[in-house]
This record gives sequence, C-alpha cells and structure tokens, in this order.
Amino acid sequence: MGGSRAGLHTLVGAYVMDAVPDADRAAFERHLTGCEPCREEVRGLREATARLGAAVAIEPRPQLRDQTLSAARRLRQLPPLVAQRRDPRMARRPARWTRLSGAVRQSWLARLAATAAVILAVVVVGLSLHLTSMQHRLSSDEQGSHAIAAVLGASDAKMMTAKVRTGGMATVVMSHRARELVFTASKLSVLPQSRAYELWLMGPAGDKPVGMLAPAHGGMAGPMVVRGLVHGDRLVLTVEPVGGSPQPTTSPIVVIGLGI
Amino acid sequence: MPDVPADDAAPGRAEPARPAAADGGLERAIRAVARGDERAFTTVYDQVAAAVLGTARRVLRDPAQSEEVMQEVLLEVWRTAARFDPASGSAFSWIMMLAHRRAVDRVRTEQRAADRQLRAARASIEYDEVIDAVESRLEHERVRRCLGSLTDLQRESVTLAYYGGYSYPEVARLLGVAVGTVKTRMRDGLIRLRDCLGVE
Ligand SMILES: [Zn+2]
Repeated sequence: MGGSRAGLHTLVGAYVMDAVPDADRAAFERHLTGCEPCREEVRGLREATARLGAAVAIEPRPQLRDQTLSAARRLRQLPPLVAQRRDPRMARRPARWTRLSGAVRQSWLARLAATAAVILAVVVVGLSLHLTSMQHRLSSDEQGSHAIAAVLGASDAKMMTAKVRTGGMATVVMSHRARELVFTASKLSVLPQSRAYELWLMGPAGDKPVGMLAPAHGGMAGPMVVRGLVHGDRLVLTVEPVGGSPQPTTSPIVVIGLGI
Repeated sequence: MPDVPADDAAPGRAEPARPAAADGGLERAIRAVARGDERAFTTVYDQVAAAVLGTARRVLRDPAQSEEVMQEVLLEVWRTAARFDPASGSAFSWIMMLAHRRAVDRVRTEQRAADRQLRAARASIEYDEVIDAVESRLEHERVRRCLGSLTDLQRESVTLAYYGGYSYPEVARLLGVAVGTVKTRMRDGLIRLRDCLGVE
C-alpha cells in the first residue's frame, strides 16, 4: 500500500468507485485531508460516477414509496454537526494529538496488564516482540486486550485527552495508520441506576454506537477498542438509558475529532 | 459506438425524467429535509429513488436486496440530511455515493468469492432485463456515448468497478493486467467521462 505521493494521487478514480481495499483507503483518505487537488478531483469524479448510476435507473415498485416515507416519519433525524461544535458547554478545544512517549506507553500497558495476568503475554505481542505460543490460548476477552495492546504498541500511536462535560477526563490513544483507537475515561460521574455511558462514532454517514461503558471505582471506564474509523468520524460520549440506544438521545458530553 | 459493451448499450425505455444531477432543486429539498420537512423528503425520493435502486441493482443483482439498499439509503438521507455538506459536491452525487458505497459494502460482506465470479459472468446478460429505467433515454444515451469515448481498458475498468462492485485488485485480476495499470485507467477513464459529460 501507500507509496509515493504521485502513487496516491492515481487512487482517486478507484476511490470514488469504492474500489479501494480498506488498507489503501485509510492511506488515501489521510492523503486527501492534506491534498486539495485530490479533493477537487474527487468532487468532480463523484459527479461523473453519479451519472453512471443515473444512467441505469430503475423505477421502484410503487409500494416502496409509501413504505419509505412512513419509515422516515418514525426515524429520528441527526442534528447538524455544526451546532454541536458551537455548543458552548462543550468547551471543545482543537484536536491536539501528542506522540505516545515510551513512559506513557509503558504505564498504559501496565494498567492493562493489571486487569489479568495472562494479558502480560499479550503485552509482549503489543510491543512487537516475538509472538509466543501463549497467543493461541487467548480467549475472546483476551483477544480484545490483544487489540488494545496492538494500538498502544503501534509506532504511530498518538494520544489525546478531553474534558467530559459532566465530570471526568476522556483519553484516546489512536493509530491513524491502523484506523484504530483505544478509549478510556477516568473520574466519570456516577450515574443513576437507569442510565449509562454510551460511546459513539459520529460522521458524515451517521451515528454508530460503539459500546456501553460501565465505570468501575474511581469512575474508570474502558479500555475500549474502536475499529474501522472512517474519514470525518468523531468519537462522542453520551448518557443513555442503561440498555443503550440505537441512536443518541441526549447531547454529547465529550466530542473528540479524530483528524481522519 | 461499436465498442460499447452490450451491457451498457441498452437504451432506457421509459418516460424522460429531469436529470437529477443538474439542478439546485435537490439541494434545496435536502436543506428542507434537514429541518424535518416530510414533503421535501417525498421530492427527494421522487428524484433519486430510481437512480439509487438502479445502482444497487447493478451491483447486487438481487432485486430484494437492491430494494432494501434503496430504502436504507433514502432513510440515511432523511437521517443525515443536516450533515450534507454542499462544499463537497452536489446533493445528487452525495446520495449516489451513499448508494454505491452501501451496495458495495453489502456485496463485500455477504458474497463469497465464488458468487462474485458468477456475477461477473452474468453481468452482461442480465442488464437488458434490468433496464426498466425511468431515467431519461437522453441521459442513458449520453452516458453510453461518453463511455464509448473511453479506451476499452478504461471502460472495462470503470464498469467492472462501478457496476460490478469490484475492487481495483480484483479488476486487475479479471482483466489480467497490472494493478498499477488498472488504477490509472480508472482515473483516466473517469476524467474522460467527466469531461465528456460536462460535469463541473
Ligand atoms: Zn493528492
């Protein structure tokens, strides 16, 4: 994947036709954020591919119209992202990523290791030393820890922290290259029994629930791995009914732009 | 255009509809939808549903799945209208992007490699049945003519990727050419198509 700048430019055609495999697409979308000529070309070529679609239009069965319209009526719409950005309560500072220093990495891994002894083997994997046969014995839970260690151990891992509006701090460690991140929070406020914290990815294509967070003592929550990040995604935390919601029902208490 | 493959040559049969890409009416409707305007949503539906369904059908082949994708896309438009950004393109191209991406995602997750080989074989045969288009004959003809101005390799790369839902390494394998070649042919082909269609 990757390659020279010129090599990436040529991916524009495949990209607008959704013909770029995931690994290349991550690299290309990173390139796009910093390359105005490519963004311009994407805009123009998307108009062209839209016409390819228009040229093969098929009249839908008439019933589908009423079905779709009444389904829409029952579906809650997403608020504009701009309004969230302007919310003064958010105190949202511009995204500031810091490189993950060796010491920080170690302390994270240590914290992770403390959750289960066997995870130590995973940590070794995360630090890109040789895989041991231990890996075969990892349960699915431990596979999750493996994923966490992989993000923390990524050479391009960067860290960001943000204040949670209702109290506490959120921390994200992210590998932009792998398009994966690890989320943790500390000192989160205790919620009523009926409420819980829910983590979301919000982007141009909608909101995706990531998972529920159950803070332990000290309001510590996570670590939680988030994968499959796409261009324009932000990581958002809300308070929801305890079982979680398919879509956010309250306003965000933290929004973290991911810079992808 | 003797070199246009049969599957891109079938003319649309139905009544002319206005070309969805060409007017600001759709943008206005999307802005109204963002404010919860249900009537505006019916306008959007009437303008794009056929193109969305046709695109999904070309990629997925399966009529029932294509209808599902069409409905999902329209509901996504309803849900996320407030997040449509006119700076990144026309409303029509935004909706078609959602449509194509969703169709391709479905293909990639649900279909095994064997099925996909089969799909390639059937792609040209089934097109004639599929083209029950409401979209204007004119639009269809224009696109067909412009596809005809591409080199064979450009056109095959573009149609396999867009209509077939194949990734560029897969297209390279199907055509028996280097991946680098396919990448540049896709880009050059679309640039030529864009210029021929006169889109901004
Ligand atoms: Zn570029």
